[in-house]
Amino acid sequence: MRRRSSLPVTFLVPTLAILLVLSMVPTLYAIVIALQNRELSTTGYSWVWFSNFADLFLDRRFLNAVWVSVKWEIVTVVATMVVAIGLGVLMFEVAGPRLRNFYCLLFIIPVLLPRVSAAFVWKFAYHPLYGIATYPYRLITGGLIFDPLSKPGTALFAVASVDVWQWGLFFAVIVLKLLETLPPQPIEAARLDHARRWQIHAYVTLPMLKAPLISLMFVKMIESLRSFDLIYVMTRGGPGVATETLDMYAFSQGFIESGKVSYASAMAVLMMIATVITFTMLWKRVQA
Amino acid sequence: MKSTRLAASLGAAFVLTASVSTAALAQAPVCSAPVKVLAQPRDGLTLLEDSKDEFKKLSGASFQIDYLNENDRRAKSRADASTVGNYNVYYVDEANVALFASSGWIAPLTDYYPAEYDFADFDPGRQKVATYDGKVWFAPLTGGGDLMVYRKDVLEAAGIQPPKTLDELIADVPKLTNADKGVYGIALRGARGSGANVWRWMPFFKAYGGKWFDGDKPAFNSDAAVKATETYLKLFKDSAPGTQTGSWDESTGAFLSGQVAILVESTPLSGMAVDPKTSQVVGKVGFLPPPSPLPGGGYGHGLAIGTKANADDAAKKCAGLFIAWATSKENEKRRLDAHQFGELNRTSVLSSKEFADIYGADLGKALADTGKVTAVNFWQDPRWPDLGDRWGIILEELVTGTRTDIKGGLNELEAYANELVKKK
Repeated sequence: MRRRSSLPVTFLVPTLAILLVLSMVPTLYAIVIALQNRELSTTGYSWVWFSNFADLFLDRRFLNAVWVSVKWEIVTVVATMVVAIGLGVLMFEVAGPRLRNFYCLLFIIPVLLPRVSAAFVWKFAYHPLYGIATYPYRLITGGLIFDPLSKPGTALFAVASVDVWQWGLFFAVIVLKLLETLPPQPIEAARLDHARRWQIHAYVTLPMLKAPLISLMFVKMIESLRSFDLIYVMTRGGPGVATETLDMYAFSQGFIESGKVSYASAMAVLMMIATVITFTMLWKRVQA
Repeated sequence: MKSTRLAASLGAAFVLTASVSTAALAQAPVCSAPVKVLAQPRDGLTLLEDSKDEFKKLSGASFQIDYLNENDRRAKSRADASTVGNYNVYYVDEANVALFASSGWIAPLTDYYPAEYDFADFDPGRQKVATYDGKVWFAPLTGGGDLMVYRKDVLEAAGIQPPKTLDELIADVPKLTNADKGVYGIALRGARGSGANVWRWMPFFKAYGGKWFDGDKPAFNSDAAVKATETYLKLFKDSAPGTQTGSWDESTGAFLSGQVAILVESTPLSGMAVDPKTSQVVGKVGFLPPPSPLPGGGYGHGLAIGTKANADDAAKKCAGLFIAWATSKENEKRRLDAHQFGELNRTSVLSSKEFADIYGADLGKALADTGKVTAVNFWQDPRWPDLGDRWGIILEELVTGTRTDIKGGLNELEAYANELVKKK
């Protein structure tokens, strides 16, 4: 009979314990604070239990932030995947090996830029008078002004385009590399059957890449939840509350406007619960 | 004889030892560690960094300034002062001094401000803004009121006299807009914040007779507030592009690059407008007090002593010495020599011949005139940033069109104000 080794336990337990402490302590602390009425300007506090959560559902800015967050998540994830798959397939089909390497290098650069730097660069690019991104509009319309960051209908899309610029191009490189790893036989077989290029990708290559593409989508979904820095620099949640996502509103309540840290924590706790439930359901559905 | 000599020798030794100790004590460094400062970018502070060695020689330690833009500085300093307290010196302003002082996050300045640095020399208006609950909390780095700065050439070409009343301003602004030529009648602030859009809106509110509170009862939900907001939104139709979600930087930037005919803004703009390094409209600019009955928005920013990072008196003295040195006459003179108009706060400098030689008599007169109409427009209470920022969001929504009901916005603000009052 084989003797059970204690080595895995010896190595795993301390690491898992540290991970548990690092993840659970802030989480539990956030939950505890969410049940109190702590504010930055006072040291005193009392237990208000679920009052912060109840107040949230009567707060029009919170409800707006939920809706903006959902829109942000859908727009950025869908657009990133469309850009990534479109560009990845295009590079695979059109570019030779040297050109592919050049494009890969070019497309990786945006994601290497710190988010805050990218946000500042694009904020200026969107300037209604001097911005390079608004220049074509001024040229076509004979000098009419277009200020995408101050229009409620366009602000979210303008900020989302920066997110897609960073991640869509980076994912395109990954999609290209995934396509290059596929065995050539199924593609050659499809060609012999006179399948068109788009049919080869729609019915052969992309279905073969289903698992890694879903993983990429999950990575992007998680990344999109953390777009606070981009939105903060470009619009601060404005115009009005048009780009105020949940994390932006929580920070605003906790540190910019009221110093209501408990109220902000309640939002963070709700976000955490909603994220865990949504991602678990999606993951199970994908695996089924 | 021998004993007399011994006594004399001992006496001499004692005197020598005492003098050496006194000298050693006199030269004991005031600071034992570098002074950490959280501030927002100011030309005066950048200039100050050139003299780090001077402060090190004076105090025994250097200093380090971390810069964040105005809104970020407010958020970060509030978060830092209320929690970890990493900074010895905070940059505070008229809007948050009451909160910082009443929360015990900063110490009374004059307790630690060396007398030889002459605090009384600061402009009396700025001293007033730095005072809360009978105590002085910061030494001013900038401050003042509002001025109407206008383009003489644009107004002359349009055959319009500089407006002297608010009604004239409202009538003139649309006439001065010529979007095809890239010129706009005015530039306002649309970005949220008690120190941003609300700051520019408040003179209209006060001009129409508005007031914030009547005792503990909110009094701002009035015809004055509705009329002020309507006027603000009307003027915004002719405000330069980029200002709808912009603040001081965007509106002054638009003026200095020649896109704006009239701008009513805080006084530092006037110094920037006559400086070829910052302005493309030098020689084309006139100065007047704000059109009547708009009151100027009295304000002041400055440096205060943090309490958490300076746990004992010695640390507070070090921070006090840094603030005194940073705002000293000598450093203010350096700022005058560098033509940093907005960084001047001492009466001895503002009334000096050098000041008049650099900036001329017109600006001096406009500054003196606007001083008479400068007022404190905001609610002087620790809860002001909270209330002001809340109105800032609603006002930004109105400016950008995500909401249109002015009265609904004011009702929402009143409900919020009632909550704030209840919590007191």
